[in-house]
Amino acid sequence: MRVFAGLIVCFVVMLLAVQGCSTTASTSAPRPVVIEKGSSAPVTTQIPAAVSPAQERAREPVVSRQPPAVVALLEHAQQQANDGDLESSAASLERAIRINPGSAVLWYHLATLRLAQGEARQAEQLAVKSNSLAPGNMVQQARNWTLIAESRRQRGDSKGANAAERRARELERN
Amino acid sequence: MAKRRKRGRRKPRRKAARRSVWSRLFIVLAILLVGYIIFLDFQVRHQFTGKRWSLPARVYARPLELYAGLSLSADQFAAELKALQYRPVRSPRAAGEYSRNANKFHLLSRPFDFWDGSEAAQNLRLSFAGGNISRLSDGKTGAATSLARLDPVLVGSFYPSHNEDRVLLQLDDVPVALTDALIAVEDRGFYKHHGIAPLAIARALWANIRAGGVVQGGSTLTQQLVKNFFLTSDRSLLRKINEAIMALLLEWHYDKDEILEGYINEVYLAQDGKRSINGFGLASYFYFERPLAELSIEQYALLVGLVKGPSYYNPRRHPERARSRRNLVLDIMLQLELIDKQTASRAKQKGLGVSPYGRKAINTFPAFLELVRRQLQRDYRDEDITSEGLSIFTTLNPQVQWQLERVLATRLKTLESGHSIEAGTLEAAAVITSVQGGEVLALAGGRDPDFAGFNRALNARRQVGSLLKPAVYLTALEQPRSYTLATLLDDSPLTFTARTGDVWEPRNYDRENHGMVPLYHALAHSYNVATARLGLALGIDSVIATLRRLGIEQHLNPYPSLVLGAVEMSPLQVTRMYQTYASGGFRMPLRAISAVLAADTSPLQRYPLSVESVIDPAENHLVTTAMQYAVREGTARAIPPSFPADRFLAGKTGTTDALRDSWFAGFTGERLGVVWIGRDDNQSTGLTGSSGALLVWRDLFSQFNPAGWSQPAAEGIEYQWIDPASGLLADAGCANAVQLPFIEGSAPLESAPCKKGASPIPGAVEWFKGLF
Repeated sequence: MRVFAGLIVCFVVMLLAVQGCSTTASTSAPRPVVIEKGSSAPVTTQIPAAVSPAQERAREPVVSRQPPAVVALLEHAQQQANDGDLESSAASLERAIRINPGSAVLWYHLATLRLAQGEARQAEQLAVKSNSLAPGNMVQQARNWTLIAESRRQRGDSKGANAAERRARELERN
Repeated sequence: MAKRRKRGRRKPRRKAARRSVWSRLFIVLAILLVGYIIFLDFQVRHQFTGKRWSLPARVYARPLELYAGLSLSADQFAAELKALQYRPVRSPRAAGEYSRNANKFHLLSRPFDFWDGSEAAQNLRLSFAGGNISRLSDGKTGAATSLARLDPVLVGSFYPSHNEDRVLLQLDDVPVALTDALIAVEDRGFYKHHGIAPLAIARALWANIRAGGVVQGGSTLTQQLVKNFFLTSDRSLLRKINEAIMALLLEWHYDKDEILEGYINEVYLAQDGKRSINGFGLASYFYFERPLAELSIEQYALLVGLVKGPSYYNPRRHPERARSRRNLVLDIMLQLELIDKQTASRAKQKGLGVSPYGRKAINTFPAFLELVRRQLQRDYRDEDITSEGLSIFTTLNPQVQWQLERVLATRLKTLESGHSIEAGTLEAAAVITSVQGGEVLALAGGRDPDFAGFNRALNARRQVGSLLKPAVYLTALEQPRSYTLATLLDDSPLTFTARTGDVWEPRNYDRENHGMVPLYHALAHSYNVATARLGLALGIDSVIATLRRLGIEQHLNPYPSLVLGAVEMSPLQVTRMYQTYASGGFRMPLRAISAVLAADTSPLQRYPLSVESVIDPAENHLVTTAMQYAVREGTARAIPPSFPADRFLAGKTGTTDALRDSWFAGFTGERLGVVWIGRDDNQSTGLTGSSGALLVWRDLFSQFNPAGWSQPAAEGIEYQWIDPASGLLADAGCANAVQLPFIEGSAPLESAPCKKGASPIPGAVEWFKGLF
């Protein structure tokens, strides 16, 4: 009889132990999380960055020279974008922005990338940000307004797109 | 007689009843036993599978990006390497080693998997000069390297409630020397037995009897693994039986390699305060501060030796015991020809090589980690955070965090002694962010950085006082036809009677009234009366609408006192508001996390940079100019002497009634900092914003990159000289004249008398107009 009682006690203790354990050891599988890595289709938008600073200056004297670390990241971002890995490319551009946050052209590149990813609204915001960092730089502002026009067109705002387009043309004339 | 007979008749019946009780009992017992084994089987499988999944999330600081020109001193770099557990050596040979010669470093970096790809191990040489990296080059070729990213500092882990920590290893990643030694010492028959080894038990028993005590254990690795699952150490027979049954079951379900891998990750090897150190992966960091793969043969031997009794052989507390145990393991390895004689004798000569025990808090920066956890909880369940082995990459900049912690500790002490405040009564909170990215670089939840208690930066809600005023002035400046920085505001006494009959009579901090003052000056000097009158003229609702755009989401009562900051916010909420000003009018989420990787290093989620234009950049430029004047000549004028003259600095002080709260929110072109000082019992601190929080900010920001970038003036802005007394056009020759920005076309047209060629009687034109 004592053995029996002992076994029951033992069983109860074991059950408690199991209960205790089951709260600590999770049986749930990792929750699947979908990553948006962008389309694997070839990217049509080019980040015009994989050019040497010298070339860049020759083409657009208003664009300030980037430090070599930023140039390296831009080349890397370009490679990632060419490989269709747009989100990694965005991450590389963010690294570049962290190093040179006041560079309007970097924000413009990020805007270009977001547009390619179909994030038209954020693309416009980033272009506006780029504008705010490029007072007096008509070339950069014109590029930003062209991008804003495209972003608005993608969102079905043709009136807004036309206004942005006009703005870009005006800036190009200046 | 009758009685006797009765008894006699009953006897056989009783016997039969007893028999049937026994047989029933036997059946019940048999059922119970089978049930019990099934139950043990369930438990074994549940535990084994469960254990393999339960991995705390690892939280990393931002990786240090090295490039020529980076503002970082040699000592700061050395501190970063120390936090990364890189080893200083004479000449680096393996990843994780570096040498330093004054301002020159030679470093072999570790490879690391980031969200956007893998960073290979690199051979790097760095030179420092003037607080910057002056040169970064390839250690082999000497060619300049444009950029290198180090592995990030591990700043903490999110554990499940039982505080077990682990660095999970796959059997392939475990050095063969370690597994060989382990099997040699603990269970030579591991690959032959079925979970228990009766021969070994008998041998152990015999040895123990001969020695008259326990000298040898007969437990197989499988049994030991089972024992660890239960975490009890009683030596009852019942437990031994359970252990044996479960060991057999475990072997039945899983193959040897799975069991060995489980053992390597499970075995208990040390205790670190509340945290138990399980598995060789973590033990390697705990004792040697480096990954298992980087250890040498005698260090493997020590770890294997520790299995027998981590506390008895604790190498930090009992180095002699640990040493002889280690050498015994080396002898066994030699005996089994796992190592040669020369290796063994050389290894036995070596010291233990154990790092000094730094009493490290489990999480180095508990306040910041609370913010990380809060942001993670929006996207992940609690179980996932503590058990799925996520790698969480945060925005924390350890350099800024260390600077902040040091500054808070010294400045609060100085404030207490300098203002005769009872020591230890002041509390503080601070949030530091990157201006353009909205990344939280550092965060203090109190003056004691290691205290994981009440996090004031996130959870304290305090009156913000004058920190709210820029929103009132911005609301005005967004109407450039009515208000410019030069518009004169009325600071004469004000009595406001609300519709409810309540009377409001705001007063200035200095109890004086200043007559007509230009708008930028009223904000820079934080005049309450002028601000109150301005706020009432604009309408409380339009000020609230501005606050919403700036990023304030909480409920706001439309009372007039709101414009003077009669509203409670946490330092983090204040930071959100000032982030919008600092970044040029762009609202952005304050991010503590940049990306999350799964246990297998596949990318799960990124928290990207995103912005939203909410304030016109030109109008934002006007209000931040007024905040620059606060630093230049207003309530924050204690700042400039600590900075280069041309440094862009803007900010706003905040002081609440009876000096309960001392605030400062200030920014450069690169970083924003919000500091709060107060008392937990909400009593007076005796400090204003300028005499308290501002000094913490100044101490900290004066350590940052002196050659900082600043936001350019926005498009559509023109500058004009203004005479502050009249608010009219002046020129550089006028006494006290200031150059102020205006939205194009909004500058005053009239000239002050001091201006060359000005109309002799200012206001004469107006007077004439009035006649007709």
